[in-house]
Amino acid sequence: MLPSFEYNSGDVLWLGNWGPIWIAGITILGLAILALSAYDLSPLPRYRRFTLLGLRASVFGLAVMMLLEPAVDLKNVTKVKNHVPVLIDTSLSMSLTATGNADSRAVLAKAAIESLGLPESLTDDNHIYHLLTFGSALEEIPLGALKDTTFDAPSSDIGATLVEVKRRYQDVELGGVVLVSDGTDTGGMGSRIRKDEALDETSQNLVASLGIPINTVAIGDPTSLRDLAIKRVKHDDFAFVRNKVSVDVEVQAIGFDGEVVQARLERAGVLLQTRDFTIEPGKTRYDISFEFVPQQLGREVYAVKVPVFENEVLESNNVFHFVQRVIRDKIRVLQVVGRPSWDERFLRQLLKRNPNIDLISFFILRTNENLISAPNSELSLIPFPTEELFSTELGSFDLIVFQNFNFGPYAMRQYLPDIAQFVRKGGGFVMIGGELSFADGGYAGTPVEDILPIQLPSTATKTVDLAHFRPMLTEAGTRHPITQLAFDPTSNQQLWETLPAQHGTNIVKEARPWATVLATHPRLKAGGKPMPVITVGEIDEGRVMTITTDGSWRWSFERAGDGATAREYQMFWNNTMRWLIKDPELKLLRVEIEQDSVAPGQTAQVTVRLQNPDYTPAPDTKGILIVSHRPLEHLESPPLEPTKFEFQTDARGVAVIEVPAPSSGVYEVVAEVQRPHGALSDRELFLSTLTTPEFSDILPRPDLLEKISTHTQGAFVSAPKTPTLVLKEPQAVQVNKRVVIQLWDSFFVFAITLGLLLTEWALRRRWGRL
Amino acid sequence: MHRRNFLKAMGATLLAAPSAQAMGEEDRYSVGLLEYSGNFNPRPTALRRVLLETEKVTNIRVNTNELILKTSDQNLWNTPILFWAGDRKFAPFSEDQISILRRYLQAGGMLVIDSSDGLEDGPFTQSVKRELLRIFPDRNIARIPKDHVVYKSFYLIEAPLGRLTVSPHMLGVWDDERVSVVLSSNDMLGAWARDSFGNWLYECSGGERQRDLSFRMGVNLLMYSLCINYKADQVHIPFILGRRKWKVD
Repeated sequence: MLPSFEYNSGDVLWLGNWGPIWIAGITILGLAILALSAYDLSPLPRYRRFTLLGLRASVFGLAVMMLLEPAVDLKNVTKVKNHVPVLIDTSLSMSLTATGNADSRAVLAKAAIESLGLPESLTDDNHIYHLLTFGSALEEIPLGALKDTTFDAPSSDIGATLVEVKRRYQDVELGGVVLVSDGTDTGGMGSRIRKDEALDETSQNLVASLGIPINTVAIGDPTSLRDLAIKRVKHDDFAFVRNKVSVDVEVQAIGFDGEVVQARLERAGVLLQTRDFTIEPGKTRYDISFEFVPQQLGREVYAVKVPVFENEVLESNNVFHFVQRVIRDKIRVLQVVGRPSWDERFLRQLLKRNPNIDLISFFILRTNENLISAPNSELSLIPFPTEELFSTELGSFDLIVFQNFNFGPYAMRQYLPDIAQFVRKGGGFVMIGGELSFADGGYAGTPVEDILPIQLPSTATKTVDLAHFRPMLTEAGTRHPITQLAFDPTSNQQLWETLPAQHGTNIVKEARPWATVLATHPRLKAGGKPMPVITVGEIDEGRVMTITTDGSWRWSFERAGDGATAREYQMFWNNTMRWLIKDPELKLLRVEIEQDSVAPGQTAQVTVRLQNPDYTPAPDTKGILIVSHRPLEHLESPPLEPTKFEFQTDARGVAVIEVPAPSSGVYEVVAEVQRPHGALSDRELFLSTLTTPEFSDILPRPDLLEKISTHTQGAFVSAPKTPTLVLKEPQAVQVNKRVVIQLWDSFFVFAITLGLLLTEWALRRRWGRL
Repeated sequence: MHRRNFLKAMGATLLAAPSAQAMGEEDRYSVGLLEYSGNFNPRPTALRRVLLETEKVTNIRVNTNELILKTSDQNLWNTPILFWAGDRKFAPFSEDQISILRRYLQAGGMLVIDSSDGLEDGPFTQSVKRELLRIFPDRNIARIPKDHVVYKSFYLIEAPLGRLTVSPHMLGVWDDERVSVVLSSNDMLGAWARDSFGNWLYECSGGERQRDLSFRMGVNLLMYSLCINYKADQVHIPFILGRRKWKVD
């Protein structure tokens, strides 16, 4: 006998290995037998006929039962508890306190966990609870550790956390999830779903993929905040010089009404632009845009700021720093030619073939002195757009080429100060000789003369010299990137002596003190010294060059008559363009920093590249790296005491230095190297700032949490209310004891079957049926 | 050219002389005439006439002396434009001549070929094509399209007229975007030639208007040699300037 209390569950089993076809066949056979019996027994009285049919049906039924081998499966089972992760948001935004000295969100979150009434053992009849913090990572903590939990994680990605929960508990049954958070999601979900919008499809699929209710407890009241925050700044990591740059800023204003806000854009602590807006009731998002035109190459640190108002929850999100690197796209050259000539033609062809140059040319094809009988409609000539080129669009160029050009006939005098100012502000300018250039161009005494690296004679004196000559390199010219056509100075000098002679020169006076003469006339004198032919100089931010001949084209074409190539001509002018626009590639010492920004406490990798004057690597050369630090709050102030690092270049002329950034701020890195031909230096900078996406939007999002719960049939409450958790009952059971009793395999069943057969036989005999 | 225009030109030349002495008188714009073993100068004085016309109507300062240049002449390399004229077939050039002409064109020189034989593809033109194929075996001699900048480098021109109109187009050989060889069959030099008394040497088939248009074609060719595709660029300038977003709105 089996003690029934040992088993609390049972099932009937059929152990016979008969398929459904066999069972159907046996059933049909039994019915056929009974039908034949009924027909055979039809002469008998009714009660006898049914008695015999009943006995035969019973025997057949028992026989079939024995074939199917019935059994009883008795089990003693218990339920398996499912798992319930309780997720606590420990991100930085949870450390905030609502306006009015209320408890912080962290305190509210701890209270909310306590109000759940979780058992000390974190297990009850149906569920096992797991207390998990999320922010940096999903970390399980005991219930007792909750009071010591810190809320300083840098992010709170609810979507990623739910995916991680699904992965971590994939081998066990989940009964539900409890999510305690302020809803300030720094992952994709928070930015995708706005307050008045439903969950998007991606988020719906994500939360539904767990297949369990997600209960949410919202911490924090969005209506009790007061905060002005730069929520998002959209900017490009790099920009093109002299190209308009846009910086789009999203400002979030909570708890304000009617205040006027002035947003500022600063570069290196200097105000660039301001934008004012007024906060309207009920409107929290304000989009503003700054536009500016960077004029200089290199990295700069920009800051977008909004003022800090009284009683703001958070001040650090009122400023946002970023780095933008300004590079050059194409060299924008304006070539102005006073008269078509071979010099113009070969230079134009060279510039046009250079894919890095965006060339705009203007040639004076005819003047008022020319006599044309054809009407204008049969000419392809257009007016000289002086206003457009030298006033409205002047700033769009990197370099201006005045080639044998006299400004006088074109009413351009009023634009000459603009051209000079363009150069002083960083533009490039080159004046090329010819009978319409220099003194004969009328530039003496004009603002353009002031920016030229040479002085002009008056037109009363001789202004051109027609004798053939070859320019002679000065000491500076043998090494200057413009005139350095061969690496070795001696070879360079010899090469210049073999170039085709120039057929005349404009006469100029001596070079200015700030200029560098690269080549001189072999015979003519100016101020007692050889007359400058090729002269360069830097004036304020710009660079200028003069070449007093109009025959450099001979270095290309005439030289081809000797079987040589145009290499020297191309090198000369390509180097000229690059030098005039301050091409960084021409720097012998370069500082490069891969990262725009590093976190405080990390290091930035600074690479120093040093080249010899012939642009070969300078190996085994010592130098010094000076690192100056300015805190972000005082970018306009002088830097703090600099740190110095010594370095030595390797065989490739490269040195790599790890520069630590112990605290936030702007780090300016200056490399200095002493070389036989003078000191070299270059600078670069990087930013060190802690980016806290948590503080870009600190507004609690109970709406987001409620949408998650609603979509997964979970419960939602706002703390301090206590939720009634919706959790699934455990579905899995554990079998502790089991026995299978075979019902057919017993003498009792066999005796009944035999007894029924004998009874049927006896009654049939008695009732006269054999 | 009418006498009135001629007098105007004389006056203009006197009035227009710049106060400054031109830098290198010898360095003014010159045109060479290729000397070869054939009738290389069937239209003497023609080049001088088109140069005078060019100086009259344009800002180019010219040297009106016709420079007759052999390929071996060192002065060839001071003259990046060379006319190649003829009216009959000629013997093949030597390998040296071919090599020099190839180098001349590759270095930036320009050849203007004018046939005076009165046929679109006459004996002179066939001889020239033979030599051009030796100079540039890998390049095609192709028709210069009517929208090419050579037809608008100074005047707006619809057809390359000369003394004759045997061909409605010119042929060319390209060096990248530049046409380095121009081949005309309409005897342009014939339309430009005058005698010492100023009389036209040859009648134009279409009258004096055709001669005027032929001079315009000559001016355009000389202007093209100096400015190449400058005029083609002009139409793009508003776009180039417009696309530059360098100012804050």
